[in-house]
Amino acid sequence: MLLATAVVRAETVSYAFEHSTLTFTHVTRTPNGTAVGIDDPALRALLKSLGASLTWRPGDRTVLIATSAPDVISFAVGDAQYGVGGLTAQAHFAPSQVGSEVYLPFDDLMHALGVGIQDGVLERLLTSVDVQGYGIQAVLVARGGGVLHPQVVADTPDRLVYEFDGVGTTLAPERTINAGGIRSLEITSSGSARDPKTTVEIDLSPGTRHDAPQSGSGEFEVAFGANGSAPPLVEPLRGSVAVVAAAAAVASAPPPPPPADMETAAATPLAQPTGATAVATVNAVSVQTASDGGQSVAITVTGNASYEWHRLRAPDNRFWIDIKNAQLAGGPQDQAEANPLIALRVRQIDPQTVRVALSLAGDNALDVSPSATGVSIGVGSAMLAETAPRTGTGTVGAVVSANEPQTTVTPVPADEYGTGGGDDQSQWKFGPRGYVPTNPKLIVLDPGHGGTDRGSMHGELQEAVLNLDMAERVQTILLARGWQVRLTRTTDHDVDATPASTQEAIRIGHDNTDAYALQARDDVANTAGARLFVSIHCNAYINSGPNGSTVYYYKQSDLALAKMMDSTLAASDLGVKDDGTVKVKYYVVANAAMPAILIETAFLTNPFDYTKLASSDWRQQMAEAIANGIDRYMRTNPVANNNQ
Amino acid sequence: MRALRPFFAIVVLAVAAVAGWYFLRPHTPSASGETLTVYYTKLDGTTLGTWDVSLRAPTPGESADARLHDVVTYAALQSVAGPPPDISAVRFPPGTRVHDVTIVNGTALVDLRGEVASANGGAFQENGEFKGLVYTLTGIPSINAVKITIEGRTVETLPGGHLELDAPLRRSDW
Repeated sequence: MLLATAVVRAETVSYAFEHSTLTFTHVTRTPNGTAVGIDDPALRALLKSLGASLTWRPGDRTVLIATSAPDVISFAVGDAQYGVGGLTAQAHFAPSQVGSEVYLPFDDLMHALGVGIQDGVLERLLTSVDVQGYGIQAVLVARGGGVLHPQVVADTPDRLVYEFDGVGTTLAPERTINAGGIRSLEITSSGSARDPKTTVEIDLSPGTRHDAPQSGSGEFEVAFGANGSAPPLVEPLRGSVAVVAAAAAVASAPPPPPPADMETAAATPLAQPTGATAVATVNAVSVQTASDGGQSVAITVTGNASYEWHRLRAPDNRFWIDIKNAQLAGGPQDQAEANPLIALRVRQIDPQTVRVALSLAGDNALDVSPSATGVSIGVGSAMLAETAPRTGTGTVGAVVSANEPQTTVTPVPADEYGTGGGDDQSQWKFGPRGYVPTNPKLIVLDPGHGGTDRGSMHGELQEAVLNLDMAERVQTILLARGWQVRLTRTTDHDVDATPASTQEAIRIGHDNTDAYALQARDDVANTAGARLFVSIHCNAYINSGPNGSTVYYYKQSDLALAKMMDSTLAASDLGVKDDGTVKVKYYVVANAAMPAILIETAFLTNPFDYTKLASSDWRQQMAEAIANGIDRYMRTNPVANNNQ
Repeated sequence: MRALRPFFAIVVLAVAAVAGWYFLRPHTPSASGETLTVYYTKLDGTTLGTWDVSLRAPTPGESADARLHDVVTYAALQSVAGPPPDISAVRFPPGTRVHDVTIVNGTALVDLRGEVASANGGAFQENGEFKGLVYTLTGIPSINAVKITIEGRTVETLPGGHLELDAPLRRSDW
């Protein structure tokens, strides 16, 4: 354990912060700057006010701070490099440990937290305003120190102005954008360091639409669509709520408290965006069983609306219908149904659209038609003809909204999640085929091997031990970012086949039911309704030649995750070769119901890679890279039917 | 006549070239003239390479089924043995044996024994060795899948392994 060698003397330092004074008492000075102890009460108070949390256990070398963005800031004792999100930065000096407390470089810590230091004042900063363009659509993302709750001070057809009270900035004052109907941005700061204010003025092209902004965490997002096109659907921010876009309402209302659960937030009907008019209400969705065993889903709608439906090909037997320009009366619905239906879900997926999603037992024929009370969906026992249409539109009521021509049929989404193509290759055996992640925040990590299965062994290293070590590190980081994480094993033991897996193995004539251990790992994710499954391994070969990291995938629905993980690993300066993505039918990947990958982090049998795997620092870097890849995927591939 | 001399010269040269090719061309030992393409995975872990082996001529009275069984067995043996030693390839562990081959409805059932059942070569090796084997056998007309058993038993994967072996493997699995 490293001890501080450059401590000159202990003292206290005070800063004004918002409307109070923070006096740091766990302070040391080094020739290169001030260090603050992680147990300092003032530091803890500052972190709390910024929505950040600090994790460190005695014996750990690394201090992790999860920000409200959410990002992870990582400092390691004795290392002047520190991490912010997926980036590495250079501190003025290395953290040190004095007794049982770690001291961090104060200026660098404040910088990482998005807090400016000026004339004895700590000032929350707006650290970035990015516009991510998608042709005629764009999303503006603002990030900064602490939770951002801007107010709308102007909302006209050509100008949208947000004011961030209590937040300063050093960002460039003007930018030309020309994406998604945003022509330019102007960022100005005013007030004093003790009472700062930052204004972001967005200059819009005529006809630009924007959604209700999302705020409540360290990020603030607004989606835009040019020329009257719909803004892109963005995933609700974790712990976020919709901020009402109507200027007067927002200006007079305090920021609403963030709900703890994403689904709760998502289920809240969103405010109507400026310029849009809801003309219909979805009052009820019910299921009736006919005498012939078929079922009928009745969607009761009052008012005028159009609808659009899609269904996927077997084995991904899902169907959904979007009722447009409609509001959902009452809360969301989630209910299990009898065959041929498996489940029914109802959500307000955006301020203008109500979605009814069905999971079907098979590729059953459906009859979608307007009824006297809304829309009727007949679910028959016959199978759908290969040539039958898989998308369609219609109207409810006498008048169709001028904004939503009924003839418009958008291309069939790749799947209900928007994450990739339909999964015709899915051959997993033990779960429902129409998989719906019932827990879209849950990530299952699979530390490969364990117990009697040591995996590859080389020198003093055993794969089973390394895999668990890295998986636990990934778990710590993801938990700090607000995700739910479950490991298929938490100690160095075998993962035993579950009774359900064994019975199924017997049923299909498997010769060796005792050995159904990999299916048991998949069962952890399949039965929990997890969003992702990520297996972590170390590679090996019979000679020392091959080296590098590889991301293996199998199903079509794995591909987006595999590519995102590979690009994240490649960009993470891990010092090992990027061997890219490889498609192969590895058991745990093929039989996980959800997007899944198997990461071979490096080769135990290559001398260069071996030194990396032997280093706990490198394993921490790898864990951060894996966590970043998962985080990126989760944030950019929303589960549409669950986050509504 | 003088005008025809270049023409005669060209004809003579062409005849000489054809005769030279005929006598100098590599002579395969196969009486049948048939060859079999054997696939292997290169050391990048994904790219396939090939080499050809010759097939014997069918014996008198040999049935089509017997011929197919023989060809598939030979292909499996060649694939597990791997390409010539001077070629860098992902290989099965030395000591791996093809114990039995059966063909059922277009699926080749291949029973492997020996080192493959105990060696833990890692994901890299499994991917490479089985990719080569499956591509080799499914390159034979009428074979479209390969079912692997280990020591005569259907297994989830190799011990400590990754590749799913309890269902037939196809080229589309890669």
